[in-house]
Amino acid sequence: MFKSLVSKLNPVQLSCGFHTTACMNEVRLLSRLRVVDNSEIGKRAMAEGKPPKVICVYNKKHVGYIGDRVLVAIKGQKKKGILVGMKQKQSVKVPKFDSNNVVLIDDNGTPLGNRIHVPIPTILRTILKEKTHSKGADYTKLLAIATRFV
Amino acid sequence: MALAIRRSTSEVFGAAKWFIRRDCRALSTLPEKAVEVPVEKKRDRPVVSRIRANARNPNLALRHVYPEFLPDPNPKWRNSLREKLERTDMLNRRKQIDIPEFYVGSILAVTVADPHAQGKTNRFVGICIERKGAGLRAEFTLRNVVDHQGVEVRYDLYDPTVHSIQVLRLEKRLDDKLLYLRDALPEYSTFPFDMDPEILPDGTPVPVNPVQVKLKPRPWLERWERQELQGVSNIEEHLKEKDRVRRELRKEPWEKYDLMKQYRKTIPIEDQNDIWAEVNHQLKQLQLTRKKVSRKRTFGVPKTQLG
Amino acid sequence: MVTGSLNLLRNSFNKLRIDHIFSRSFQTPRYRPPYWYEPKERVPSEEFITQENKQFIEEVMQDKLQQQASLHSPLVNIDSSKAAEWNPQTRRVGLIARKIGNYPLWTKDGKKVLTTLLQVVDNHVIRYIPPEEFSPMVTKKYVWKEKNKLGCLLVGSETIDPSTVTKEYCGLFNNAGMLPKRHLFRFMVSPESYIPPGTPLQATHFRVGDYIDVRAKTMDRGFQGVIKRWGFKGMPASHGVTKTHRRPGNIGSGGEKARVWPGTKMPGHMGNRWRILRGVKILRINTKHNVIWTLGVAIPGETGAMCYLFDTILPLKKHTTSPAFPTQPFVEDLPLEYYDESVQPFEEQSITFEEN
Repeated sequence: MFKSLVSKLNPVQLSCGFHTTACMNEVRLLSRLRVVDNSEIGKRAMAEGKPPKVICVYNKKHVGYIGDRVLVAIKGQKKKGILVGMKQKQSVKVPKFDSNNVVLIDDNGTPLGNRIHVPIPTILRTILKEKTHSKGADYTKLLAIATRFV
Repeated sequence: MALAIRRSTSEVFGAAKWFIRRDCRALSTLPEKAVEVPVEKKRDRPVVSRIRANARNPNLALRHVYPEFLPDPNPKWRNSLREKLERTDMLNRRKQIDIPEFYVGSILAVTVADPHAQGKTNRFVGICIERKGAGLRAEFTLRNVVDHQGVEVRYDLYDPTVHSIQVLRLEKRLDDKLLYLRDALPEYSTFPFDMDPEILPDGTPVPVNPVQVKLKPRPWLERWERQELQGVSNIEEHLKEKDRVRRELRKEPWEKYDLMKQYRKTIPIEDQNDIWAEVNHQLKQLQLTRKKVSRKRTFGVPKTQLG
Repeated sequence: MVTGSLNLLRNSFNKLRIDHIFSRSFQTPRYRPPYWYEPKERVPSEEFITQENKQFIEEVMQDKLQQQASLHSPLVNIDSSKAAEWNPQTRRVGLIARKIGNYPLWTKDGKKVLTTLLQVVDNHVIRYIPPEEFSPMVTKKYVWKEKNKLGCLLVGSETIDPSTVTKEYCGLFNNAGMLPKRHLFRFMVSPESYIPPGTPLQATHFRVGDYIDVRAKTMDRGFQGVIKRWGFKGMPASHGVTKTHRRPGNIGSGGEKARVWPGTKMPGHMGNRWRILRGVKILRINTKHNVIWTLGVAIPGETGAMCYLFDTILPLKKHTTSPAFPTQPFVEDLPLEYYDESVQPFEEQSITFEEN
């Protein structure tokens, strides 16, 4: 009984009372992510135990890789985000995280929060610079609010 | 600490005990293993027999220290000339940087040149949870928990972008792979980045850390209960009757009598002797030069330690 | 005007004829051995040889081996002033190599690339047949395009024990003063890249950074179904599907095409076919063991398979400057290793990146 109480209190733990399939390491449609910035909506969604779900990955494979832009359903709203840490197998020297992390951004690439409280892979610096166009959205603003790189 | 309070009291107690022991160990100058190994006599025995075997054939001890010098045992991929060229390349790389002796369970600090990072170098500290690959393909995985987020990084052992590999704590664990740390409580894989290296006196055997980790409740990444792990304490708590039955059904106790399987997985002693005879001398020379250099360095260091 | 356009239309419809068949697979030509081919395998009959005779054969063989080792490269005798110049149209001789495995190398910018190692074992020129004498196939149908243009250079690799092969096969090597070789291959070369028989060929025949074509036999996979052989999708595992999970399904339609068209992808023998991989870059060459490191792992065949190396024919990757022509003469004091400028040698210091 105490354990069930503990699991209800613990927001990080995503296991619910009902049976779920084994965790999916790939970010596909409807996979759940972890918001790692301190934006109001993200914090509330994680605290309530209702993590955002991917409803679109903006690349041709529809599988999210590190640095990809995704559209997530969070607290009944549609928000865009950038994947900043992946659970699936990574190439050599690229860190692999224990959860699929996302940072919420708006259409111009400006992050909704003002701090990221987990480490960010350094390779993201290069990836986001490549994805940024001079007249389009500027994704490198995300790097400015990171607290730590690994 | 707030995270710990939510867990049951026994878990907190266990974690606290572990913390205390770890801190004491960090403070004491003696190697903690010197006390702990003699207590467990069962684990002593293989060590003794290994020493005896080593007395007969000193080369065989090297296969634990430098496992990547042995080729892949699959006969389809073997070729003596390719293996020889590979070994010379490996030795050439070892002349450039010091690749120390380490095992799964040791804590390492790796500095690599990283074109993406700010200062163009990147340092990562973590516990080695896996080591695999033969020859130049050898790789190892480090794991750490940074800001309550588990991070793992895979490195190639002979990658020329690696600037240094430093062993912060040389020890072994009870298992060959520590992949279960992914499902264990985060305390067991948290290591500070500013950890000081612990120096073992020369000639002491590599200590075995008998710590048994506690797993988080299910779901798990793998079916740990079927893998006969030594380093996990609370695996039975999370099992249902169904899992125990399945485990019994899936057991393969005849595997250890399958001599052919053993033979196919390993390199015969005759082949190993040839390989070690070729590289042993050069490896010894490398070690000696490293020792000389490190001795020179230690003359300057003690004052900073006292202060 | 109208009739003209009608004619055009009719012509184009003629081309669209439905019974007009283009087949993708060609019939493999019947094996006709070249006239210099001699049967190789011999049935050994050991029982009549006494111990002394055996020893005598051993001695003779050792003598011949020594004699072969002491042979000087005949290239030295040719004066360089007479030798022809290389131009992009000339065809050089290639090499016979053995694939000995894969391992990674790192480039200067820190990337890992997988390489294939090819060992050039004991290659010698055995014989040269000038273009006017060379008539390999006695057939009326097939017009040999390069007839009377290219000569044939016979190259052998890997010396074997002469007592294991027939007398006639050994006779092929007498002119060059060689012991018999296990592998023979003919290279079509232009007459100016003639190399006298008996010349050893080294791995330095190619330069680091060159592109080569590699011809080898693919791995033999035996009789395979369509999923493995052609990458078909198969059919679902359930939803009422019975007995057709890995079968090809329909192989033809009705009407005028009511038959199986030639070239339809079907189950059959997979692998063990000659394939050419073109445009493979050479990253590193070891002159002591005659080993060539090539970029990528796509060279056909398993470890230990034979392959033949040529200068590439890809127009963008051809030689632009003159390679060693006709071949690299044997030189004593070559450096042990040649590296491409993109490859990081293991003897050098670790890679560091500059702040920009």
